[in-house]
Amino acid sequence: MMLSVATAGVILLAVCIYPGYALYFHIGETEKKCFIEEIPDETMVIGKYKTQLWDKQTNSFLPSTPGLGMHVEIKDPDARVILSRQYGSDGRFTFTSHTPGEHQICLHSNSTKMALFAGGKLRVHLDIQVGEHTNNYPEIAAKDKLTELQLRARQLLDQVEQIQKEQNYQRYREERFRMTSESTNQRVLWWSIAQTIILIMTGIWQMKHLKSFFEAKKLV
Amino acid sequence: MDFRAIARLLALAVLGWCFGEVCSDGEESSEFTFLLQAGKSDCFFQRAIQNGRMEVEYQVIGGAGMDVDFTIISPEGTLLIAESRRSDGLHMVETTVEGDYQVCFDNSFSHFSEKLVFFELYVEGQGGDVDGDEELGGVEESDENMLQYKLQDMREYMDSMHKRLERGRQMQTVLRAFEARDRNLLEDNLWRVSFWSCASVLVMLGVAFTQVYTVRKLFDDKRRVCT
Repeated sequence: MMLSVATAGVILLAVCIYPGYALYFHIGETEKKCFIEEIPDETMVIGKYKTQLWDKQTNSFLPSTPGLGMHVEIKDPDARVILSRQYGSDGRFTFTSHTPGEHQICLHSNSTKMALFAGGKLRVHLDIQVGEHTNNYPEIAAKDKLTELQLRARQLLDQVEQIQKEQNYQRYREERFRMTSESTNQRVLWWSIAQTIILIMTGIWQMKHLKSFFEAKKLV
Repeated sequence: MDFRAIARLLALAVLGWCFGEVCSDGEESSEFTFLLQAGKSDCFFQRAIQNGRMEVEYQVIGGAGMDVDFTIISPEGTLLIAESRRSDGLHMVETTVEGDYQVCFDNSFSHFSEKLVFFELYVEGQGGDVDGDEELGGVEESDENMLQYKLQDMREYMDSMHKRLERGRQMQTVLRAFEARDRNLLEDNLWRVSFWSCASVLVMLGVAFTQVYTVRKLFDDKRRVCT
């Protein structure tokens, strides 16, 4: 009995403290890294990041560095800033899109102590979840008291709803794409006609002008 | 707290972890779209376990040349894949060594044009060996063997449906990247058409006036040209 409890405890602990397995990249001191997320409207996005600093003494990356913050700035498709906040060395930011389109998520470090960056590089683990991946299923299960099958069914429903939303957005984008394409065609047509007319008019004007000029000069 | 309660708690925790992030077969996918400045190189690192699979797909969706250099470097430093000036690519890497694999995009060949790059990383563990049975400690405790068997079937079907829907989502992401690339190209075209049409008209008018002026100037000379 105690062994089972101990095993359960160890497994739970392992689940919780598993080191960041998301993608990571290196960022310089004043460098700004921007990511673009193209999402439909009314979609929630959760971004989680962890930072590690290069330690010259141990020649490895320290797990977390107090005093080193990251500034997160999020712009919506109309280039309006919807979130601009300073977070700690490990942070979690979330926003919901109100207009469909390309949202820009920018991160740059805002260190309070310049000496921390002597090593030159900061390692940032980043994970961005969109749509139904942001749902916290254990919480939903506990709140609505769902069994495992019910929870799985709920998850499938969320997935399908997100796929449908994405398809609607795809249709809207295709419509805009078609409008841009037709506008380009129109412009090509009208500009060509206008250029031809201008060319002909200019030719006629040149001839007339030079003819009257030569007649005035009594050359013809 | 008795054993059943602990088993439920554990099951819910592991299930929650599975539902939330990475499933028990170590599957994980991340996709990002970022701007690669001209003359610079950006690298992303992804941890992979031994004997797994890593799938990387990338596309250049914006920028003048629409191409980028792509490399994958193993944790030991060996160059696994190197591509030069491609606009898209799909690669599957068998991760024989455990560690951080480096995926790099290089835009140093371009001095002025920044590229918009979309990439998707899909890491799979030893898929198939560890299946969903370990997720649940003992949620279903029915004495009816037939009922338990049918529910087990249903659970497996639902798991499989979940995986396929996930794959469907990934396909949608890829299609969205293609569309974004075409849209960027089209908007560039529109701008170019407008600009060059304007320039063309101005050049035409300029040339016309210059011609007339030059011819007039020839005859305004004091010397007699011809009578």
